[in-house]
Amino acid sequence: MRNTLKAVSLAAVMAATGAHAKETVVWWDFLGGGDGVRMKKLIEDFNAAHADTIEIQATTLDWGTPFYSKVQTSAAVGEGPDLMTYHASRIPLAVSQGTLTELTADDMTAMGLTSGSFAPATWDAVNVDGKQYAVPFDTHPIVLYYNKDLLEKSGLIGADGLPAGLDGLDNFNAALQKLKDDGNEWAIAQVTADGGFAFRTIYSLLCQQDGAIGTDGDWFPGDSQEKLANAVGVIANWVEKGYNPGSTDYPATVALFTSGKSPFMINGVWEVPTMADLQAQNKLFNWGAIEIPALFNHPCTYSDSHAFAIPNNAGKPATPEKHAAVLEVVKFMEENSLFWATAGHIPANVAVTETAEYKAMQPQATYAKLTANAVFDPKSVNAGVASPLFDAAGNAFTAAINGETDPASAVADMKAELDALE
Amino acid sequence: MLRNRRNEILVAYILVAPFILIYGWLFIYPTIQMVQMSFTKAPLIGPGEWVGFKNYVRMFKDPTFFKAVLNTAYFVALTVVPGTLVALGIALMVRRLNGWMQSVVLALFFLPYVLPISVVYVIWDWLTNKQFGMLQGPISFFVGEPVNIWRTIPWFMPGAAIITIWWTNGFSILLFLAGLRNIPQELYEAAALDGATRRQMLTRITLPLLWPITVLCLTIQLILQMKIFDQVYLFAVGGRTQATMVMVQYIYEQAFQKNSGGYAATLAVALFVVVLVFSILQFQILRIRGQR
Repeated sequence: MRNTLKAVSLAAVMAATGAHAKETVVWWDFLGGGDGVRMKKLIEDFNAAHADTIEIQATTLDWGTPFYSKVQTSAAVGEGPDLMTYHASRIPLAVSQGTLTELTADDMTAMGLTSGSFAPATWDAVNVDGKQYAVPFDTHPIVLYYNKDLLEKSGLIGADGLPAGLDGLDNFNAALQKLKDDGNEWAIAQVTADGGFAFRTIYSLLCQQDGAIGTDGDWFPGDSQEKLANAVGVIANWVEKGYNPGSTDYPATVALFTSGKSPFMINGVWEVPTMADLQAQNKLFNWGAIEIPALFNHPCTYSDSHAFAIPNNAGKPATPEKHAAVLEVVKFMEENSLFWATAGHIPANVAVTETAEYKAMQPQATYAKLTANAVFDPKSVNAGVASPLFDAAGNAFTAAINGETDPASAVADMKAELDALE
Repeated sequence: MLRNRRNEILVAYILVAPFILIYGWLFIYPTIQMVQMSFTKAPLIGPGEWVGFKNYVRMFKDPTFFKAVLNTAYFVALTVVPGTLVALGIALMVRRLNGWMQSVVLALFFLPYVLPISVVYVIWDWLTNKQFGMLQGPISFFVGEPVNIWRTIPWFMPGAAIITIWWTNGFSILLFLAGLRNIPQELYEAAALDGATRRQMLTRITLPLLWPITVLCLTIQLILQMKIFDQVYLFAVGGRTQATMVMVQYIYEQAFQKNSGGYAATLAVALFVVVLVFSILQFQILRIRGQR
């Protein structure tokens, strides 16, 4: 609220001086779900606060490969937007294609931000070879959703009201077995029909074993190939034992959790609005979400970041006025990202996550600490959401977690596919 | 006389010039560019270095390419002739209905054809959903357990083929019905007087006179199904795309997902050649049939 007032007064001052003609900022995003609704609200707020100076003209496009193909091709002919949302994991490819404009230290000063405004891993994700190409807006990891009522029945809720006794693979498996024995149809739900989606869990478990996915030429450094097979094996075992339903797609996974057929669900934080909305209508049990427990050596969770990037429109560089308007938009969004947190995403701006309002927001505040243990995609033109790496994971993991191949040979196939990339 | 003829030729050229220009600009020029691009190592955007026949050598050693060719052929076999037969059968039955009843039934069969593929995908994805899909009842009854059709390789292509036939059949039915109405009623009356059975009327009158329509249906279907992409892409995305890869999908993957425009152009040239060969073959076969 205070920020809105500040923005309103700033707009009033600018209007009074009459120094600026009204700028339009053409905006593209790929936010089509519950978070898209919230982003539209932020854009409306911005336009209302800058009624005389800046107007955002927003378009929402299809997530994934279609969005990035459109951005690349349109920027190459100077027809891209003025500002767009971007996945941090897709920045390396965009940089190799010259799609993005570098952000300078002056730009950061104009927005009132520094590298210290963000968690180190998040900041690192928007930098390529020491140059900054985007401003992180959030981090959106996967988390473990739980049905508190069902967990309580099975004695898995600790004194602090949070799930207890889940650390270590043996303990976690014992908890799943207990839930199954207590009559639950499934113990845990996660997407098993889409190995590209399951990559998020598997990559987290790889990181928990101190394994890594490298980049081109050395995709699985050290003994990471074995560790990756281990990680795949964990989920394959859950499917085989009947804890996790096999060949299950995204909507069914969410439905199994919200209908109470599965007490646990591993999914992205972007499903938080679904739960919050159902609960507001009194159609949901008591629920929560926590960081993925440490099944191996230490906690570590896959994360990506929605960031703001400025396309490098070939032949049509932005005027200084337009550039200033774009920075003003990003500044506003960063300052008002507390509202964005209701979409489940963790605001990247540390100043926001440290406010009392955020700390009172549940379950967001409970899982927000995982940003310290986040692992981002490897920095390769072939990695990131909807990338060849996700695709290779889709082919290898879908077969392995549903018991059609064994994890070791699936990972070997994946390596062969990645090594064949040019 | 001569001058007049020259004038006519000039007018003719002027009249076809807009078409030639647009055709050359939008079709011929990009095609030449595509062939050029197939000899380079170009990314999706911008030029690439000349690599000669390297992309073609790579293609002939690429197992996924051959997989895509085989899958496309399999899909064509599952849809073109079966789909046309189903349409013929339905048209023969619909013809027997009269008045508004015929219109209603025809509309019902035509309805799927007007749907965009994204809607078709969503409808069938719901129907076949492993946990909540209506079709899992019958599937469980026959197989013994629910099956995720879109993640079980042997089920995938037949599944996609059934949906494609359901989706595109309305148009073929309409063509067949128009053909049936064109057959003069007197032929049947004369045949009945001569003591022909229903079966004889079908094989001696209806089917031969429908042959031109059948050829048209087969041709439209063949061209349409060789370019199969949407259904296979939508149902496979995120899962085992390699195992069910079809040719256009592979071109898309290489160009837009793997950022290798050069190799994608090579694959596109290959698809172009395949379509060309099939078109010539079909043309020749139909010509022989026509001469009889």
